[in-house]
Amino acid sequence: MDDIKLTGLYDVHNPWGEQDPVTLRGLNARIGGLAGKTIGLFATRSKLAAVPIMEAVERQLQAREPSLEFSWFLFDHNAHIADTEDKARFAEWAKGIDAAVAAVGD
Amino acid sequence: MLDTIAIEDRHVPAVGLANEGFIRDAKSAAAINGMPGVRILAETIPVECTELPIIEAGVAAAMDDIIDALIRPLSEEEAKPVPEEDGVADRIAFRGTIQEVNRFFYKRKWTDGLPILPPTDAAVAEMLEGTDLPPDHLVGKITPRWGKATVEKIAINAVMAGALPTYMPVLIKAVEAMLDPMADYGTHSVSTGSWAPHWIINGPIRHDLNLNSGSGMLSPGDMANSAIGRAMLLVIRNIGGAQKGIEDMGVLGNPGKYAAVMAENEEDSPWQPMHTEAGFDAGISTISVFFPNSYSQVWPYATNAKGVLNAITANVIPGRTGLFCVVMNPANAKLLADEGWEKDQIKAYISEYARAPAYKHPAYWGAMAGRQNNQWIPLNANDSQRILRYPDWIKILVAGGPGAFMGLLTGGAINDLDWVTRKIELPANWNALVKKYGKI
Repeated sequence: MDDIKLTGLYDVHNPWGEQDPVTLRGLNARIGGLAGKTIGLFATRSKLAAVPIMEAVERQLQAREPSLEFSWFLFDHNAHIADTEDKARFAEWAKGIDAAVAAVGD
Repeated sequence: MLDTIAIEDRHVPAVGLANEGFIRDAKSAAAINGMPGVRILAETIPVECTELPIIEAGVAAAMDDIIDALIRPLSEEEAKPVPEEDGVADRIAFRGTIQEVNRFFYKRKWTDGLPILPPTDAAVAEMLEGTDLPPDHLVGKITPRWGKATVEKIAINAVMAGALPTYMPVLIKAVEAMLDPMADYGTHSVSTGSWAPHWIINGPIRHDLNLNSGSGMLSPGDMANSAIGRAMLLVIRNIGGAQKGIEDMGVLGNPGKYAAVMAENEEDSPWQPMHTEAGFDAGISTISVFFPNSYSQVWPYATNAKGVLNAITANVIPGRTGLFCVVMNPANAKLLADEGWEKDQIKAYISEYARAPAYKHPAYWGAMAGRQNNQWIPLNANDSQRILRYPDWIKILVAGGPGAFMGLLTGGAINDLDWVTRKIELPANWNALVKKYGKI
């Protein structure tokens, strides 16, 4: 560009992309105790380790609290659940659980 | 991590598990997506782990933390997060000498590590002469930060990269193409696979910009090839905000991320140019993008069609699949055409005969069992398997100089992908711009 010299001072534009303000959301209240609760187990099959990790979580949580029940949600994409055709099934699944553990495998 | 947030958004308390090396990535994603307090637990299980005892032990080590994260009451900050000050929103970021500007930008990770040209008011205004679109026109929002790629922000990064105003129409359409869902930029830009955008330019604009489609096309030294690629690198880095090791989790990185801009040598090709396959007239200028992560170069096994095609089919990487580009030098293209081969026949041949025994595919080892449909999982170790399932995944680009070597660009099949091509729209004063900058 014609106006660039090795000496002198330059007022330079900010290259960083502006963002729309993001509304921050807090977390949902925790369950307080495990007894009698239904725990959702969420995993994508697109990542190799996700399902076996959640299977281990199920086994080990059950060993800690035998009265726990589990509800699985599996899907096949390496994508965010909200962007997939599974989002309606996901919403239904979430209605039936007290809390959830999720893993994507990395 | 976004899935853990999605569960919280369904009014369910959730805990996410992530490998300890991905915690910064997960925290960043949580903050960007409005739930900075989401409970993410670090575990030590290797990424893509296949060994069940290791997984069992890793989960056991994290189990106390998992239970704690499920039952421990929320802190005030977790329940009602307070926004942090951004602090980088000023339109004019800095005043200083060229060296001070470079150090200021480098410290903020706004460069590729090399010196940039200062994006002054005058330089940005000159860059904006390359488009009829207003500076505040929003071309798209780039992940992971969802930064706004306005025409002005693209121009600022283009100045930094050493681009000319005549590159602006290409850069604007490059952003558009990259953000097409079929290109799956969102995954490629942050994936451990270090996928690099490779840009292919067709049509008359190749000559207006002096793009190299011949010898050493992918090597440094041609302003248009280099600066267009570099400008897109800076757009991705500064507008999208993908930082290495935080959002961009590429394990090794990829030199293709510096600048991988190719033009087709349409004049020396015996076939119709690549963009006509996407339905564009040959006289239209276009930019195409895909995201390979590997590049290999092979030479024909014999100076005939059989030798060229066997060199290609024998060197497609087993265990990889997805979009694939053969960069075919004009001599080999002519050799094939002289023996009657058309592009579609070549693609079909590669798809059919680039094979490997099943044991060379990840699916045989169960490594992609969830990712592939059942008919793709081999039953016997020596079953012959296609590597590139569909001919449509393959493109033949005629480019490069004299000599025998051909390039094989191996893409990805992370999700449902396709080649993306966009028509380049030229401003009304295009001829004057080319007259002014075309001789540089």
